[in-house]
Amino acid sequence: MSQAAVAVERLEKTLGKNKVLRGISFQAQPGEIFGLLGPNGAGKTTTLRLVSTLLSPDGGMVEVLGFDTRKAPEEVRRRIGVVTADIGVYPRLSARENIAYFAQLSEVPSLDLKRRVDAVIDRLDIDSFANQRAESLSSGQKQKVAIARAIVHDPPVLMFDEPTSNLDVLASREVREFMVESKERGKCVIFSTHVMHDAERLCDRITILHEGQVVASGSTAEVRGGKPELEDAFLELVGANP
Amino acid sequence: MRATWIVYRKEMVEILRDRRTLIAIGLAAIATPLVLSIISQVSTKTATQAYTVGYTGDVPTGLGELLSATNLKLVPVPDPASAAKKQVDLGLAFKPGEIDLYYDPNRQSAQIAQNRLETVLGQYSAAQAAAALQTRGVDPAILTPIHLVSNPLSSPVQAASNAFLSFFLPYILITMIITGGFSAALDSTAGERERKTLESLLLTPAPRSRVLLGKITAVTTISLVAAVAAIASMFVTLAQISFPGGSRHITPSAVAVPLMVWVAVLIAFSFSAVTLALGTLAKTFRQGQAYVTPLYFITIFPASIILFIPDFNPSLAYYLIPILNAVLVLRDAIVHDSVDWTTLAVTTVSLLATGALSWYAALRLFTREALLTRS
Repeated sequence: MSQAAVAVERLEKTLGKNKVLRGISFQAQPGEIFGLLGPNGAGKTTTLRLVSTLLSPDGGMVEVLGFDTRKAPEEVRRRIGVVTADIGVYPRLSARENIAYFAQLSEVPSLDLKRRVDAVIDRLDIDSFANQRAESLSSGQKQKVAIARAIVHDPPVLMFDEPTSNLDVLASREVREFMVESKERGKCVIFSTHVMHDAERLCDRITILHEGQVVASGSTAEVRGGKPELEDAFLELVGANP
Repeated sequence: MRATWIVYRKEMVEILRDRRTLIAIGLAAIATPLVLSIISQVSTKTATQAYTVGYTGDVPTGLGELLSATNLKLVPVPDPASAAKKQVDLGLAFKPGEIDLYYDPNRQSAQIAQNRLETVLGQYSAAQAAAALQTRGVDPAILTPIHLVSNPLSSPVQAASNAFLSFFLPYILITMIITGGFSAALDSTAGERERKTLESLLLTPAPRSRVLLGKITAVTTISLVAAVAAIASMFVTLAQISFPGGSRHITPSAVAVPLMVWVAVLIAFSFSAVTLALGTLAKTFRQGQAYVTPLYFITIFPASIILFIPDFNPSLAYYLIPILNAVLVLRDAIVHDSVDWTTLAVTTVSLLATGALSWYAALRLFTREALLTRS
């Protein structure tokens, strides 16, 4: 049994007629930012959906802190927080109500609810708009609410799937800072992106996916392999370099 | 069940902040009295309205006064046949020992006037015959050798109001339950997908069956609120307005009210599950509307059966058909002022089974991978 926060072994998944994942393997550890890189359609989002139990593997296995996603999906969901580019919030609830709703569904004890919600509101600097209805918030503010609801139950594993793709420069920076802060708090942070610059700056280790397969894996320096920029190594690996 | 309660409470907060649902409930409460007032005014006007009768020839003695007393106004015309097409409601040509009647069956006013005329002429002929017999020293009772004694088993006025309620009450109940929960059901299913909150919801450890149960319970609640608002406003209105025929107030029987509440709960539960299942199939609120709207027309059809076939007395098997069974059980309770426990049991089982099957279907749809991967 792996001691990794997230262990993926020979994972396969077909969606419709498209074989999206062809036996990928990787491990992500607590206290690191693990980058999952790849061009569009490489299988990054599908991988994260399999890890988070939204999809079921066709082959291989996924474990989160020792819990198999097929055998104990609810145990897995208790231990993860997911932030995506699609910032869906309930428009007729306030930011605070949105966060509290997910805290309750994530089994935060009633006696601890207010303290936990207040804590994430304070941590993500949401105070100024906490009582505003979500329909009136900006994209950056909504993304903060989305992060808050994903971490309110203090999960040991955080997954970010292209979290900055709809955000402006300032909001993107805040999200990146939050990922670093989470890593420093001992969380396992899985960061899925196609922005090489972000990956190079933030990630401790990287796995590059291409057409459903792992084409490179290791520390950021190892994957770069002497190239001046990670982007150069990436383009070579996915066969996009002339 | 904690997750169910959390989802229920959140859905209710969202529903109560949704203008669409509040407008639907408000309209339900306003529209019913409005429709009833119009029906009352139209039926009262129809019963007391004067109709014109164009005639030629000599009006028999005393007949003119009788016709006038029943709001049939005699007007001399050159040609009663052509006048009856548009100018007057009926045309009469008085001839010795004969009256020729002209009317257009396409005109409702002509039919009402004709019925009224035949009643008056029947009374006039009987009075004339009785007078003629009396002058000859013959007892007029000879004209009616068999005297019919009518013994209605219930008040004819109450029967008329029951007939009205037996159609109108199930119609309002079903319509308001469906329309009241319509927006809420779509918002909590297709709406979740459209605004991209579904994935986050499914990422929580809450069992999906509990999440769905919370949604169904919330939609059931709001459907019942809409139905209660409409029915309450209907009874308040019925207590205020009058209908022709002496029925001053239309009131439901003591049996009908608790039965109506039970049937309303059953319909609200089963159709909340059905609309949620259909809403789960839809990717957007608009697409959900396209799926659910035909359901509205399908469910209104059984209520119409009572309107067109008031004496429809089906076998027990008919009580297995959802909605039709609810309409029939309510009609039976209102008309007969009693409950047939066998038909009520079959109806209850049928509606609960419909709700349970729809809930199961919605749950299957709610846990399909395609729910998230289909774009």
